[in-house]
Amino acid sequence: MSAQEIIRARAKELLESGEIATFIGWEAGRFTNQTTPLVITDAADAGKLVFNEYCANTLAKYVTDVLARGKVGLVVRGCDSRAIVRLINDKVIKREDVYLVGVGCPGMKDRKTDEPLKKCTECRHNNPLVFDEMAGENAEKAVPEDRFAEVKEVEAMTAAERTRYFESIYAKCIRCYACRDVCPCCTCRECFVDQRRENWVGKQNNVAENRFYGLTRVMHIGDRCIECGECERVCPMDLPLMKLNRKVIQDMNDLFGEFESGLVISAEPSVLTTYELTDREEFM
Amino acid sequence: MPVVENNANAIPEDWEPKIIAFCCHWCTYTGADLAGLNRMNYPANVRVLRIPCSGRMNPQYVIEALNKGCDGVLVCGCHPGDCHYVTGNYYARRRMMIFKRLLEYEGLEPGRFQVKWISGAEAGKFRDTVMKAVEDVRALGPINLTREIPYFELPAMPDDDEEAFNAVPEEVFPEEVNA
Amino acid sequence: MLLSKQNLMPLLNSLASDVDVFVPTTIDGVKKFARLADGVEPDFDMINTTMPPKDLLFPQTQKMYHFDVDKNGSYHIHEYDESREQIVFGIRPCDMRSIVCLDEVFLTKGFVDEFYANAREKLLTVSIGCTQAAETCFCTSMGVDPIYAPNADVMLQDTGDAYKVTAQTPKGEAAVSAWSEFLSDGDAEPVNCDVTLKVSMEGVVDKLEGMYDSPIWENLSIKCLNCGTCTYVCPTCHCFDISQENRKKDGVRFRCWDSCMFSEYTAMAGGHNPRPEKLERERNRFMHKLNFFERRYGMSLCVGCGRCVEKCPVALDITRLIDDIGSYEVAPASAE
Repeated sequence: MSAQEIIRARAKELLESGEIATFIGWEAGRFTNQTTPLVITDAADAGKLVFNEYCANTLAKYVTDVLARGKVGLVVRGCDSRAIVRLINDKVIKREDVYLVGVGCPGMKDRKTDEPLKKCTECRHNNPLVFDEMAGENAEKAVPEDRFAEVKEVEAMTAAERTRYFESIYAKCIRCYACRDVCPCCTCRECFVDQRRENWVGKQNNVAENRFYGLTRVMHIGDRCIECGECERVCPMDLPLMKLNRKVIQDMNDLFGEFESGLVISAEPSVLTTYELTDREEFM
Repeated sequence: MPVVENNANAIPEDWEPKIIAFCCHWCTYTGADLAGLNRMNYPANVRVLRIPCSGRMNPQYVIEALNKGCDGVLVCGCHPGDCHYVTGNYYARRRMMIFKRLLEYEGLEPGRFQVKWISGAEAGKFRDTVMKAVEDVRALGPINLTREIPYFELPAMPDDDEEAFNAVPEEVFPEEVNA
Repeated sequence: MLLSKQNLMPLLNSLASDVDVFVPTTIDGVKKFARLADGVEPDFDMINTTMPPKDLLFPQTQKMYHFDVDKNGSYHIHEYDESREQIVFGIRPCDMRSIVCLDEVFLTKGFVDEFYANAREKLLTVSIGCTQAAETCFCTSMGVDPIYAPNADVMLQDTGDAYKVTAQTPKGEAAVSAWSEFLSDGDAEPVNCDVTLKVSMEGVVDKLEGMYDSPIWENLSIKCLNCGTCTYVCPTCHCFDISQENRKKDGVRFRCWDSCMFSEYTAMAGGHNPRPEKLERERNRFMHKLNFFERRYGMSLCVGCGRCVEKCPVALDITRLIDDIGSYEVAPASAE
């Protein structure tokens, strides 16, 4: 049986048995090879679920929206499972709130160009890390040698070039906040951009305010980013946001030891919410 | 458009650097106070803002200060191990190390964002830090980031005390208040 | 009148020497309308820009006035009028239709928005009909003709080697008469444009009246992320927020695009939010597009440009919604 058939069958069984209240997967969109997230509550809809090479969206963040209805079942690939681990570690959900149907991910493709998605070529954990059951086998995928290659490219520029490079990014940003809304680490009940009385970030769209938003976003998710690359994929202006996220991750790697977020469920604090007495001293 | 390396070669004649210093209430702010009591001279380019602890230092403050017209930002707190709240500056140390690298990655010159540990007794270190920060920023020139401050510029830096006194904002609508 | 394609660039260059000419182009990887200048390569084969041309009339951030108080305590208000003569060259018929919608909003029903009116008056619209449609284009279903924009000042229609030029307004006629050295006499049949994506709007407006509590919104909104992408790439979305920046006794008031997808959009001073969840926000957005605007102004606020369909991060698709509404059976109780 193909993974898609197993997912459909298991979603149907789980919903029928009442073990879960909702199931999250993907359905086919209107256009060729297009998929879109699907949330079902009725076992009769299980036939709509699809799993193919074009399932670009991650699903974990929807769990927080539908959790009120009861236990949630969802399909998880590597990135989805890390997002679930992230949500559990951040105490947004509990492990027993979700039923995870794992599926091996060979890397997804862009539906238009048929090329592998950038986020998938950079992925280092394509198979689920936590799951309750697997639909099919784990998949093989090439792992990138250096996950910080693009950061090093930027670091090789002069300071003035970097200023211009990032300012051109901020000049393009339209502040739709899709990067925030899709991010499994952005789980604040109220985001700082919505706190209008405090007025953290002005409403004007200009380089300065966009930089304020961009840098704050990176600092807020810095030590929790699971490198799913969704922020970059959803950006309507195609801004290279992972170059910022990975810079912080690279520095944390260098300074505080090998770091990868969302691999195991644990109660340990994340890197920037803890400290060591022996941390490097640069400010004496 | 040619890439401008920095503004060091094009410093306007009457330009004075504007630096904001976020100082921990328990150590550096006290240290600054001691520097004042000891009549130590240091440049008036620095504006001191008190924060409860260097652990309270929000990276957003730095971006906002740079966006709103400062040419440099200084963050000062107790020496690690001396924090009034025991651990605050350990957290600050990690965050500021990451944040400083992030700002430099975005092209900010290292001299424009400095972090220093200064205890309440180190009035001299406070003076030296401020003097060095002012000199560093003065050498760099006005900040090389796009700052869109619509129609505002901070008032020019007063040279002597009398002008500093006059630069204090007047009461809005003094007549109406009197009437 | 015909404008041969060789004469197009010379015409644009001569226009650009006098006024700002905005052309569809790709700048830094973003497809948008940009001012023709050195290094800007117009691309008239581009089917649709990512960013709509609405910011020529209604910028994302627009300064309104600057105020201060002098030492005597008296106010000074300096109004801004940054509008200037502009030509938008190569705007598509769907975007032209969106300008009709914006005109209705900003200029009719007893209120004239000065900023919009000034910019609109100084804008010359030169529309170029489409020769090919993207897979997401569904303009014909929304009553837009892909090769003809009735409200453009000047209409250019592709006939193969040349554009057929039609001046449609007094402003357009004046413009075309000034272009005479680039034009030649003649007539040709415009190339047709085949729009493959079709949806049926039949009955949708009336049906929506009884669908406020329909489960359709729940199913639709569940996948929405509540980002503002659809509203910012939409050529007809026109909500704005007025805000100000103050320093000491100076301040500047500005308005900027707002999005009904944000929780803050409907947040009230006391903390109440009448549209707390994405269900209500999604419902409002689509009701506004397909029903509220139709009732108030007699036209649909969706022009079928397909930008939101293309750019939505979760492929939430207005054409599928229209289909779903079409096939939805209104429950007898709510139909009344």
